[in-house]
Amino acid sequence: MGAGLSKSQLEDILPLSPLQQGLFFHALYDSEKDVYTAQIVFDLRGPLDVAALRAGAATLLRRHANLRAGFRQRKEGSPVQVVHREVRLPWNDADLSALPEAERDARARDLADAERARPFDMTRPPLLRFLLIRLADGLHRMVFTNHHILLDGWSTPVLQTELFALYLAKGDDTGMPRVAPYKNYLAWLAAQDRQAAEDAWRRSLDGVHEPTLVAPGAPEPGAESPGRVRTRLTEDLTAALSARARAQGVTLNTVLQLAWGTLLSRLTGSTDVVFGAAVSGRPPELPGVEQMIGLFINTLPIRVRVRPADTVAEALTRLQDEQAALMPHHHLGLSDIQRLSGTGTLFDTMTVLENYPFDPDAAGTALGGLTLHDVDGYDASHYPLTFAAVPGRGLSLRIDHRTDLFTEDDARRLMRRFVRILEAVAYRPDLPLGRIEVLDGDERACVLQEWQGPVTGRETGTLTARFAARLAETPDATAVRAAGESISYAELDRRANRLAHRLAGLGVGRDTPVAVLLERSADTVVASLAILKAGGAYAPIHHGYPPERLAWAVAEVAAPVLVVNTPMRDRVAALGTSARILVVDDDPEIAAQPDTDPGVPCHPEQLACVLFTSGSTGVPKGVMLRHRDALDLATDGRLRGGAHDRVLVHSPHAFDASIYEVWTPLLHGGTAVVAPPGHLNGEALETIIAAEDLTGLFLTTTLFNLVADERPHAFARLREVLTGGEAGSPAAIRKVLAACPDTEVGNVYGPTEATTYTTIAGLRAPLADPSETSAVLGRPIDDMRVYVLDQGLRPVPPGVAGEAYIAGAGLGRGYLRRPALTAGRYVADPFGAPGDRMYRTGDLVRWRPDGTLEYLDRVDFQVKVRGFRIELGEIEAAVAAHPAVANVAVIAREDTPGVKTLVAYVIARDPARGDDPPEPPGGKRGIEGLRDFVAARVPEYMVPAAFVRLDTFPVGPTGKLDRRALPAPDYGEAAAGRDPRTPEEERLCAIVAGVLGLDRVGADVSFFDLGGDSIAALKLVTRARQEGIELTPRDVFTHQTVEALTRVGEPEDRLGFEVLLPIRTSGTRPPVFFVHPAGGLAWGYLQFQRHLGPDQPIYGLQARAFTRSDLPGSVAEMAEDYLEQVRAVRPSGPYHLAGWSLGGLVAYEMAVRLQAAGERVGLLALIDAYHGQDLESERREILPELLEAIGVDAGMIAEDGNPDMAQIMAVLAARDDALATLGEDDLVNVYRNYENGLRQAEEYRPGRFRGDIVFFTALQGRTADSPTGRANWGPLVEGEIEDYPLDIDHHLLMEPGPAAEMGAVLAAKLDKLQSTD
Amino acid sequence: MTNPFEDPDGTYLVLVNDEGQHSLWPSFAEVPAGWTVAKNEDTRQACLDYIDENWTDMRPKSLIEAMGE
Repeated sequence: MGAGLSKSQLEDILPLSPLQQGLFFHALYDSEKDVYTAQIVFDLRGPLDVAALRAGAATLLRRHANLRAGFRQRKEGSPVQVVHREVRLPWNDADLSALPEAERDARARDLADAERARPFDMTRPPLLRFLLIRLADGLHRMVFTNHHILLDGWSTPVLQTELFALYLAKGDDTGMPRVAPYKNYLAWLAAQDRQAAEDAWRRSLDGVHEPTLVAPGAPEPGAESPGRVRTRLTEDLTAALSARARAQGVTLNTVLQLAWGTLLSRLTGSTDVVFGAAVSGRPPELPGVEQMIGLFINTLPIRVRVRPADTVAEALTRLQDEQAALMPHHHLGLSDIQRLSGTGTLFDTMTVLENYPFDPDAAGTALGGLTLHDVDGYDASHYPLTFAAVPGRGLSLRIDHRTDLFTEDDARRLMRRFVRILEAVAYRPDLPLGRIEVLDGDERACVLQEWQGPVTGRETGTLTARFAARLAETPDATAVRAAGESISYAELDRRANRLAHRLAGLGVGRDTPVAVLLERSADTVVASLAILKAGGAYAPIHHGYPPERLAWAVAEVAAPVLVVNTPMRDRVAALGTSARILVVDDDPEIAAQPDTDPGVPCHPEQLACVLFTSGSTGVPKGVMLRHRDALDLATDGRLRGGAHDRVLVHSPHAFDASIYEVWTPLLHGGTAVVAPPGHLNGEALETIIAAEDLTGLFLTTTLFNLVADERPHAFARLREVLTGGEAGSPAAIRKVLAACPDTEVGNVYGPTEATTYTTIAGLRAPLADPSETSAVLGRPIDDMRVYVLDQGLRPVPPGVAGEAYIAGAGLGRGYLRRPALTAGRYVADPFGAPGDRMYRTGDLVRWRPDGTLEYLDRVDFQVKVRGFRIELGEIEAAVAAHPAVANVAVIAREDTPGVKTLVAYVIARDPARGDDPPEPPGGKRGIEGLRDFVAARVPEYMVPAAFVRLDTFPVGPTGKLDRRALPAPDYGEAAAGRDPRTPEEERLCAIVAGVLGLDRVGADVSFFDLGGDSIAALKLVTRARQEGIELTPRDVFTHQTVEALTRVGEPEDRLGFEVLLPIRTSGTRPPVFFVHPAGGLAWGYLQFQRHLGPDQPIYGLQARAFTRSDLPGSVAEMAEDYLEQVRAVRPSGPYHLAGWSLGGLVAYEMAVRLQAAGERVGLLALIDAYHGQDLESERREILPELLEAIGVDAGMIAEDGNPDMAQIMAVLAARDDALATLGEDDLVNVYRNYENGLRQAEEYRPGRFRGDIVFFTALQGRTADSPTGRANWGPLVEGEIEDYPLDIDHHLLMEPGPAAEMGAVLAAKLDKLQSTD
Repeated sequence: MTNPFEDPDGTYLVLVNDEGQHSLWPSFAEVPAGWTVAKNEDTRQACLDYIDENWTDMRPKSLIEAMGE
């Protein structure tokens, strides 16, 4: 140790303080550039005795041992400071007085910069240098450069004071007090309790989950020096602040920290903020500590909770108490503290209260006419914002800012806000923090008035009156186009009047909500208008609701009438509602009603509609909108002018967009063009836009993005396409704008509660700027206001995130039958007319400086997935209802940008406790049947894509669920499968993985098992096409796996129609064979792969009619044919067989034949199948029945008795399922099979079967004469018949709900058979 | 970010306007013009219960009058 250092030169060996250690290691490892070189520069005016100053400097070094320290590592690595007995005084002189005056200063700065750039050798003390520059006669500049490891900023004035005291004494220190040595401090440090300090800091930062950043994502600081704005408070305010501090028993430091915390809170929108504070680090109990020169300073995180409800006085006291508790622990280093908090960097702003300034003015007179002038100090601090205060009679304040992040104007604005906060703190101790106003008058005027929607002074009115006015103007104009039919205003009026009379007769009156479930058609418009004319409000129910939810909604509306049309008749047949079901297109009494207006009075405050949206408590909530709300939207200035005169009606009636779609055209004398039922794709859109000469339409963000991707020119003939629902994609919108030069893309934003649209922004202009990165919201529409408020309900400044509150036009009445919920969301408006309300949206937005609104995020657990507004709580309630679920959390993940998926995390009930279902075999699998259970309770779009089973939930330090720590679902198991074998498979696997946001997918795994849905299938088709692979959505539904999809287009490929349909070929168990019903297709059985375990192979048997023209002659013929197929994959038993309807008879016949051949039959499941029935095959209308069975409006063939094939195909194509992929020929084949199958079922005469039968009975639609499974089959069967009833119609047995129930039964049976084998 | 209307530990008022519409209101904030305090400072749940009990007809008063009731 101490190589080359003789004993006489060595004075002392000392440890390092924690901060010194940190700096030392930085110096060792960042040797490239040492940013911890500090510099003080000041000018000396007047006659200077250079020799005296130099002598003073030498004495300074002699007095302070720690200034003579060098830094080394011991052999074992620990650092030490080695104090030398003597060091050479590093003193240089420069003389610039000969230079022209203009150059002197620049040259002097260069010299100072060079000093700073010259690194110190840590081992060779002293780590400081003096440079005295003579600038002119009587003008010198002192440049003092040191390594930060020696001394801190607090030491500077001590050092300066001592230096000039020594200067006056010409270097003689005999009269000066003894130095308190730095080693005393090091000894004190060593005696501190580190564990106690760590505990204190951990407690202090408990619950801080994220850093407080004013410049998140800021780049590394560059070399440029920070900008700086200063102000000096008046003496009055300064005195008032001191008085406030005294009155509350706090320090001035606490006052300033509360004020800075409040400012930060307003800047970041958070009420729990952390910033850095430079603390002196000088322990008060250490004698003489104030006069020490050395490194004590520390940067500590200051946490301030800016609770809006706390008064200034309370907040001061609390902060002081919190900080006082930390005082003994100030010695812990910042990096240690940040490690404890677990968040890493905690803050990006700093505060410095410069407590001990060297006061040159005070010293000036004593220096023999020499005066000091602060020129510059070099500070290594590069925080985006640093606030510094220098006490004095008028408090001096300074905000240093990184100029690449903040302009000088920004900094000045911040300073003004800071001073306003200080004024409130000084003078209003009882003011809640939430009421402190920080905005300038002009800022306030902007955000509350100037940037708001145009004030039109429109009269309020009613939809019905406005419609009547349009009717009077243009009775013969076309009001509605639907299914090729044109309905004039006069005709629409007459139809609505007749229905209105009928509704009134059934008890619909003023302000009465009427539940409506209509398949999209002209009925949608007629019924809506009719209900309004009767005085009521239409309450559309989403057609995607499962039966339980549907029944709930109808009961919630509690209407005397439930309005449906024929395609929906079956859906409501089993509801058991007390409401009278009125089938608008099949009600004999309507035609007899008068076609004149019923003349029911209407008030603008009356309800026009009730729209259900997802509710966090587990059930939806009905948003009540008034006539005036819908009228204001429809007549908004932004929607006038022709672009929205011929509008496509395609959104679900229950969605608020339907208000725009129906009423905007109708109240302008335009035409509402009703799209055919089902989903639209780009091609269909383009076709209907051209065919109907549409001018405008609305698409959800999801659909818009899809079309933009697939067919961006689809909108080219429109004046404007509106899109919204989620944050828009600038890339997708730019693509459309480029492909459609005459079309505007309007970004719309707004909650249902404020009637559909609150802001509409044309994006062509803003997105023309290539640097624009988001789809802005623009400004509110007519008579609407958006307030961006903080948690204290104060408007936030532009640029700051806040929650959007909507006021003005369009604010509905509230939530149906939910007064408390309403009063908590529609709240008093502090900024509008007296008594106004505002709706709090839960959306996080901000104003840009130019007055455009920008959407940022949600503040709560409401999410949008595929355009649907979803309360996660509602899904959680549905999952939690499953008996095996102990706890659940649902989140929307975006593990792949742009791919948002719902994931449910579940903790299963402990099976050891009570009679809960046993753990599924195979260990930690998901909870069996949970997905189907949930699917039966919530609409399809709310069913999580993945269910992840956990043992415990991750929690934060406060014990609350830490949602961010929930693991990404591991699709690994499902995605595993086999690797691709051919280049084609490889390409397609990559595409599928991309679409689903997975790392890889197996070639033999079903797209739908991987989380794919119908929208994803459309994406897959589009992406594949871009890669040159031609697929149709049908291919995806029928082929499912990459392996199969790569065979699409091969000459022999009739996949999906083959006689033996492989549904799941993997698995070790004996396969189950499902035989097709009369229609001939086995596609309905595809879903059983979800219900039967992964080890269970499944095949479907399908009619030959799809692959050859002749039809089988009998059930027996079919059975024999199919057995050949079955034996090909399963040469010997046991055989598991099942079949629905005709398929049941064929399965039975196969079973009988297998037994006759000496084979064993395991499972025989008959799904509502009966032999020997007179099915009236000669007389019945087969096509309508068949169509209804697959959910198609049979009315489409009613007019002349011939099927409208084109329209049926359009309807089929719009479906969400495999049927969407049927071709016209296929449909004809389905028809032929069905007709043939009925005849064969009548003729079939079954033999005897030795074994048990599992039977499923469809309860709906049964008559007294209907046979039962037992009665029908009992006499033929030598075994048990277990009958499982299902509350559904025969035709609907393959709907997801009943299929799931059957799946559960079959899975249990198969398990049992497996275990007894 | 906790909304001031969602603070389970906060205290609230119930406000009513001339139309009889009710509003939950955080007690720290100034009562806006046109609203009167129907229920003094209490817990959030107590205020919500009060609203459910007292705001039984959600139609605005002007409409109730216009409908002649």
